[in-house]
Amino acid sequence: MDINVAGETLPMRDSLAREIEVAWQRMAAPGTWWTGAERLAIAAEARRAGDCTLCQSRKAALSPYTVDGDHDSTDDLPDVVVEAIHRLVTDAGRITEKWVLSLAPALDETAYVEIIGVIALLTGLDKLDQALGLALRALPEATASEPNRQRPKGAKRNLAWVSTLAPEDVGPEDPNPYPLHGDKNIHRGLSLVPQEVINFFDLDVELYLKDHEIRDFEHDFRAISHAQIELIAGRTSALNGCYY
Amino acid sequence: MTTTGAADSVPHGDVLIFLVEAVHSGEDSAIATARMAVRDTLGDAAFVDACATIASFSAVVKIADGAGIPLEDYKEEATRDMRAEFAINQFQ
Repeated sequence: MDINVAGETLPMRDSLAREIEVAWQRMAAPGTWWTGAERLAIAAEARRAGDCTLCQSRKAALSPYTVDGDHDSTDDLPDVVVEAIHRLVTDAGRITEKWVLSLAPALDETAYVEIIGVIALLTGLDKLDQALGLALRALPEATASEPNRQRPKGAKRNLAWVSTLAPEDVGPEDPNPYPLHGDKNIHRGLSLVPQEVINFFDLDVELYLKDHEIRDFEHDFRAISHAQIELIAGRTSALNGCYY
Repeated sequence: MTTTGAADSVPHGDVLIFLVEAVHSGEDSAIATARMAVRDTLGDAAFVDACATIASFSAVVKIADGAGIPLEDYKEEATRDMRAEFAINQFQ
């Protein structure tokens, strides 16, 4: 399909265009721990975080943990939620295990992992629009319904700073996040909230590549080559301070 | 490996790096210039896929950093010599 950017037409793969729309719908729908309205409030707060004076001071400091204060926010969300959102948006590279653990009990790790999922999804959508030259979309209307608040029984804290669900521990009552996109550690990072794995990677495999395509150097799956994709990936990750 | 060296070894790597850095800077004029450079050099479909890759790796870092996942064992093994050569482990 074609997209219109500032009066010019650009080609976009149908599968990418489709998953962008699915991602926006999922952003506004009830999650596992947050309602649709709450997920959109998290997204709105994430968009504001870049202008937060406290976050800018922390970003400039040798350590963000030496700077106290209040975030610039709208008071729509509890302070601990605002803290989590702002750190994930503005200084994720210096998050520590101690900081993650300090969020509890005010913010349960399940709710925190869903916040990560919402922010990752929003970042992918907004960064794509920014790069293409599109204005950021207005956030959609929330879908009214209640989250199911189901924690996977098999989740354990033995891999990351948050509990994760190993493939062998997925129960019949859990959405299985692994068959479609793989079970690398990056997939397991969100697996305490399995639906968030599905929500993010359904979009991400269209932004980047499907798991089986990544090392298939016999074929090119995009209009740029594997080498060009990995050059972009490496430089973007370095600029974001990601060394995973 | 420097950024310049990496870019030189990939076809049109310089304009792609220019786009990545412009988008990361958030400066509208730089992004506009980089956008046209990629479109003129690689074409519109390549430009859209380059933007999509930037979006992906801007997003996935939130999961890695927020959840604190470790590198997989097989990746650690595969990169052991390279990490030693560049003394990357000294940054831990």
